[in-house]
Amino acid sequence: MPTFTETAKATKKKRDIKLVGVDMYIITDKGIPKFDDIGPFKCEFISNRGTKVWPGFVSPDLLMVNWYRCRFMATKDVKDADVNSFLDTLTRNGWWWSAVQKLWNYDGEAGFSKAY
Amino acid sequence: MGKQHVVTMIPGEGTGPEICEAVRTVIDASGVNIKWEYEDIGLDCLEKHGTLLPDKTIQSIAKNKVALKGPTTTPVGTGHKSANVTLRKVFDLYANVRPAKLIPVLKRPWDKIDIINFRENTEDCYAAIEHMVSDEVAQCLKVITWPGSYRIADFAFKWAKENGRKKVYCVHKANIMKMTDGLFLDAFREVAKKYPDIESGDVIVDNCCMQLVKNPGQFDCLVLPNLYGDILTDLCAGLVGGLGFAPGANVGDNCAIFEAVHGSAPKYAGQKKVNPSAVLVSGIMMLRWLKETEAADRIQEAMFAVLDERKHVTYDVGGTAKTDEYAKAIVDKMLVKV
Repeated sequence: MPTFTETAKATKKKRDIKLVGVDMYIITDKGIPKFDDIGPFKCEFISNRGTKVWPGFVSPDLLMVNWYRCRFMATKDVKDADVNSFLDTLTRNGWWWSAVQKLWNYDGEAGFSKAY
Repeated sequence: MGKQHVVTMIPGEGTGPEICEAVRTVIDASGVNIKWEYEDIGLDCLEKHGTLLPDKTIQSIAKNKVALKGPTTTPVGTGHKSANVTLRKVFDLYANVRPAKLIPVLKRPWDKIDIINFRENTEDCYAAIEHMVSDEVAQCLKVITWPGSYRIADFAFKWAKENGRKKVYCVHKANIMKMTDGLFLDAFREVAKKYPDIESGDVIVDNCCMQLVKNPGQFDCLVLPNLYGDILTDLCAGLVGGLGFAPGANVGDNCAIFEAVHGSAPKYAGQKKVNPSAVLVSGIMMLRWLKETEAADRIQEAMFAVLDERKHVTYDVGGTAKTDEYAKAIVDKMLVKV
């Protein structure tokens, strides 16, 4: 008789995983960051405390802290090594970042949320 | 007629339009001078305009700085963002104010409940930062910031001071989430020092739930991070009679949206069956916010009188009156008083 844990583990399905971008968490006191394309990565949006602050309308009332989530989507097929080059360039350009999260599609579906 | 206020009216979906019409009838009869600007939101908008929250609605609220909103439907698991959450984000409505007060005619097992919940409305697990970090692990970032925590505590203490409240307590789980809830609690304690005349303290969220059910009369004002606030405000609404009477306000530094917290009940749409009290009590909150205290008192008194008589109340409180008949009874009661 399998345990509940064994039964749960056995339900895992094989999924097709594809790298499609990165979320970069940037720390800056100089306001909303601006980015040119970096290799195959193009900045799609920037959010602060979960609220999209670029592109588009930003309420002048909005509380922003010095920590921005910057979503970069790949404009062509990319590999993990492309992320390494991307991080090197970003760091060389003077950006201070706290974390990076790779964005994957699972069976063609985005495995990441959009910003409000 | 006093000063004219321009208010954005968002009827919402499902039963929202019939509820808001009833509420408008009552508010207009109270003697207050309001020009209503009607705007759309929600799933109907998605079909008509391709967005849950049209720019025209945003511009109207930005201009008028105050809105009264009916219920909307949030699609589950469709990938569409909630229009409600988007509104809070766009206008940085960081304070969700949810009073829970016993209504005399609704028989409840407690003698006294008079709690005001101040839920932080923009951070926590609602920052929409979620990832499938592997094919079998999902992760949601809980974002708590110092300024976000500080301002909700400051807002709550100031409200308490201006309204003669005695105690403000912080609800948290800082014994486990030492960084995030710890920061929230630290900010609360820092703010509390500015208000030495108000008793302050803290309570762990699970204990708070138990205490609320056992002895809700002991609480006065509660300050909560977003997720605990979401849950405990409904718990408090349940204590005093359910969501049918639960008002709410989403307030920022320069703008406020008043709304009921219940859903749009689409299966009852068009039947004029549902109780509009929650939106009406939210409207009363709005009038107080607009400094129209006399009109607010007049409506509240008439509403309580109609509920007390039980002749023209809706099905959920044992009556047979339609939504608009209940509203008309409140208007008639106000006219008698005048």
